[in-house]
Amino acid sequence: MARRTRTARLALLWHRTGWSLRIGALILLVHLLVAVFGPWLASYDPNEMGSGIPLSGASWAHPFGVDQLSRDIFSRVLNGSHIVIILSLSGTFVGLTVGAAIGLFSAYMGGWVDELIQRTVEAFVSIPFIVLGLLAVYAAGPESAGKPALMVLVIALLYAPRVARMARSAGLDIITHDYVLAARLRGERVWSVIWFELAPNVISTLIVEFAVRTAYAPALVATFGFLGFGIQPPTPEWGSIISENRGIFLLSPVAVLGPGACLASLIVAVNMVTEGVSRLIGQRVEIASR
Amino acid sequence: MTQMEREPGSVLDVRNLSVDYLGPQGTQRVVDAVAFSIRRGEILGLVGESGSGKSSVIYAALGYARPGGRISGGSVLFQGRSILDLAPRELGRLRGPGIGFVPQNPAAALSPHLRIINQLREIALWHGIAKSAAEAESQANEQLRLVGLPTPELLLRRYPHELSGGQQQRVCIAMALICKPALLLLDEPTTGLDVTTQAQIIALLSDLKDRLGMSMLYVTHDLGVLAQLADRLGVMYSGRIVELGRAATLFTKPRHPYTRGLIGSIPSVHGKLHRTEALEGLLRRSELPPGCSFSPRCKYAKPDCAVTPQTLEPVANGTWTACRYWREIPPAKVRGQVINERQIQHESEAAPIFEVCDLTIDYGRRKSRRGARPVVPNLTLGLNEGEVLALVGESGSGKSTIARAICGLVSPVSGKMKFRGQGFDARLGKRTQKLRQEIQYVFQNPDASLNPRAKIRRILSRPMRTYFAAKRSEINQKIDKSLEDVSLDRNYASRYPTQLSGGEKQRIAIARGLIAQPSILLCDEILSALDVSVQANIIDLMASLRRKTRIAILFISHDLAVVRELSDRVAVLFRGELVEIGPVESVFQPPYHAYTLQLLNAVPDIDKRERPGAMTSPAPLREMDSVRGCVFCMRCQWRIGDVCDSVVPPWQETAGNLRIKCHRSPAELATLAQEVSQNGLNALQSGQRSSRESN
Repeated sequence: MARRTRTARLALLWHRTGWSLRIGALILLVHLLVAVFGPWLASYDPNEMGSGIPLSGASWAHPFGVDQLSRDIFSRVLNGSHIVIILSLSGTFVGLTVGAAIGLFSAYMGGWVDELIQRTVEAFVSIPFIVLGLLAVYAAGPESAGKPALMVLVIALLYAPRVARMARSAGLDIITHDYVLAARLRGERVWSVIWFELAPNVISTLIVEFAVRTAYAPALVATFGFLGFGIQPPTPEWGSIISENRGIFLLSPVAVLGPGACLASLIVAVNMVTEGVSRLIGQRVEIASR
Repeated sequence: MTQMEREPGSVLDVRNLSVDYLGPQGTQRVVDAVAFSIRRGEILGLVGESGSGKSSVIYAALGYARPGGRISGGSVLFQGRSILDLAPRELGRLRGPGIGFVPQNPAAALSPHLRIINQLREIALWHGIAKSAAEAESQANEQLRLVGLPTPELLLRRYPHELSGGQQQRVCIAMALICKPALLLLDEPTTGLDVTTQAQIIALLSDLKDRLGMSMLYVTHDLGVLAQLADRLGVMYSGRIVELGRAATLFTKPRHPYTRGLIGSIPSVHGKLHRTEALEGLLRRSELPPGCSFSPRCKYAKPDCAVTPQTLEPVANGTWTACRYWREIPPAKVRGQVINERQIQHESEAAPIFEVCDLTIDYGRRKSRRGARPVVPNLTLGLNEGEVLALVGESGSGKSTIARAICGLVSPVSGKMKFRGQGFDARLGKRTQKLRQEIQYVFQNPDASLNPRAKIRRILSRPMRTYFAAKRSEINQKIDKSLEDVSLDRNYASRYPTQLSGGEKQRIAIARGLIAQPSILLCDEILSALDVSVQANIIDLMASLRRKTRIAILFISHDLAVVRELSDRVAVLFRGELVEIGPVESVFQPPYHAYTLQLLNAVPDIDKRERPGAMTSPAPLREMDSVRGCVFCMRCQWRIGDVCDSVVPPWQETAGNLRIKCHRSPAELATLAQEVSQNGLNALQSGQRSSRESN
């Protein structure tokens, strides 16, 4: 079999993608463009007061209306787009890395170490997302409240235990192979076994996990924003925009529904892409292992 | 060809059979225009390397194609009926009473949740062989007795996992026989079994053929087995039969270069190497030329071979070969010369590099079972500098366990180990890095021992980084060098293990051991997962290692022929205890320990055309546990009497530095061995019988 050219391989890859993946990718692309170019697309400054008549509904000048402080909501949404995406991605990434490290370590060590880690992980998993997140924000103290870094860490904290459990079960499967035994025989350190032998073999599982978790992360960010524990106002974070305008919902529904629809379309798009990608990876894994 | 197609009185006629598989690159022809026939009461053997399409042929003979496969052409006639045209229901009725099938892996073929009786009864009732459950049971009883299982009443109530591998395979054969088929298809029925068990199954099959006049199609990669069993042989290569003929003719006068290579690749227990024409290269299905598919590996190939397709043409006396130049190839020197004339250096004065004293090894979970016999009790063994010490024995004899204890994977219960005269803590975590570097371990299965997601360069660089903290440039140099040592090209460094063949992977695994510059290399059954021709390559590699380096090698194998070729000393293990140890020449000559002789006789060998006699069947382990004397007394053909049961036998030393653990003196053992060789194996059996009677 001759080696396929790069273009031919890409064409083959394209053929294997489903429609939901293609549509999702298109929507996601729009979101990413907005995240990058949002500030230039917006016709008003996100925090500029007096950009229109307060509490006015949807119009061509103000698609999502104007809020109580007479700020243009659409401009705020455009300006806040990158926040939710960056927070979701970095939060998930940190959570995944830490979780995978804990899970693989736990799987490799076995015995009482494994037992201890697993019970701790279970304790964390048993607390609902919101409660655990609020506890973490409270524990961090008032001076760090509202900082983006805190939000990243909170998401990481919520995700890490769940990822750890997944990584452990994937790791247990790998550990039975002789190459792990060979590494142990060489007297390699725990972390180099995990890094060189285990991690490369669970990477496809981790990628799928990353995609699934990223899809849910915007909802988390927005939830904390809505509850007022997220990013400090007046930063135009979507959850806090929805929260700010919930009082005028009856006067101007679009002030809540607009940002809400943006959030929903982002989550749906990421989910569609996620599912498509994990199917692709799943196929690849199957072919490779045969 | 026409002659082959019109075989009077044939049971199975396969004509121009083709099987296609749907792969990632489109359909692939796995079986191509295969034609043969099997006469009544005849055993036809099909032999070939893995991937040659032999299993697909056997499935097609059942009217079945594996998922993804399709029988795309030709016909299969069973007693004149075309199998491929039958409706599924009729086919179902034919499989069983017409054609019986014995699968490769009996452990997977028996349903784990059904007692043996249920599995046999189901077949008998479904095919209407028996009218009632009681009748079916009596038939099952009869069949189990027929396949040589002594107490069917007890066995029938057991579950498959309560039987040994050999017993399971016998049950599978009984399941195939219960419908009294005219033809039995066997797909590598002894591949997963021990040599001694394999010998029993072969004896059983040849007995069945003689008694019932049954026809068989026997598919295997092991020519040695077929030498004892088959009347005629078909040699398959890349989906085609390249040579077909009477077994005796094929072994003495192989015509096709591939057949000659296949025979030449087999090591022999007699130490005679047929290695004049060992196979080179590998079957690469993706790179087959339009002409003769063997031509890329054939050393007699001419330019037009790769272009002109080959067909089977008659050679002589019922033999066909698919090589147009068979007349021009010089006659094969198959009965080859003895190459294994290595000078024996008895290094008795050399201090052993590694010593094992009174070592008892057991697995942790067994500690609770009080009084149970450990896997390896009180082993004392020395490994000399630069020698190859072979550990042989059946599976379960503790060979691997010993190697695992030496490298630290298993912690011994008691006893001492010494490296260069110094004791050390046996636990892996407590060993020094230096010691870990000195003892390297090569695993049995290279598919599992190489990280599939790491390039070869990474795999080989890990020991360098762990032991020597080497720099990148130095590592790259060493990797190139070590790839060269195992005769692989240096561009292999940038490949992944999945892109390598089984033999190449095993070379990498060996290279990984060598790159650490150890003084001891533990090789745990490193050949058993490989094809015959690939095995030959690895054997050559090991032999050159033995010549060039001073590494002491502990070579664990159940294959006595390989052991004879590669090792300096041999230690024979039975249930964790040494029964015989000495220089390789002495071990393979009389006097033998009774167990060594059994092992030797069980080895299928193309030089030894006679069939091995029925061996003593293994005694139940629980009974063997209660023995206080000789470990082997329950299976011994030369048992003296009660003294064997109650007194631990002493070590008997012979002239050739050979030590045998037996109550009989070496002289006595030598006479007994001579008797066996003179009177053939019947003497062995009658010896067994008389010794049993005398108890």
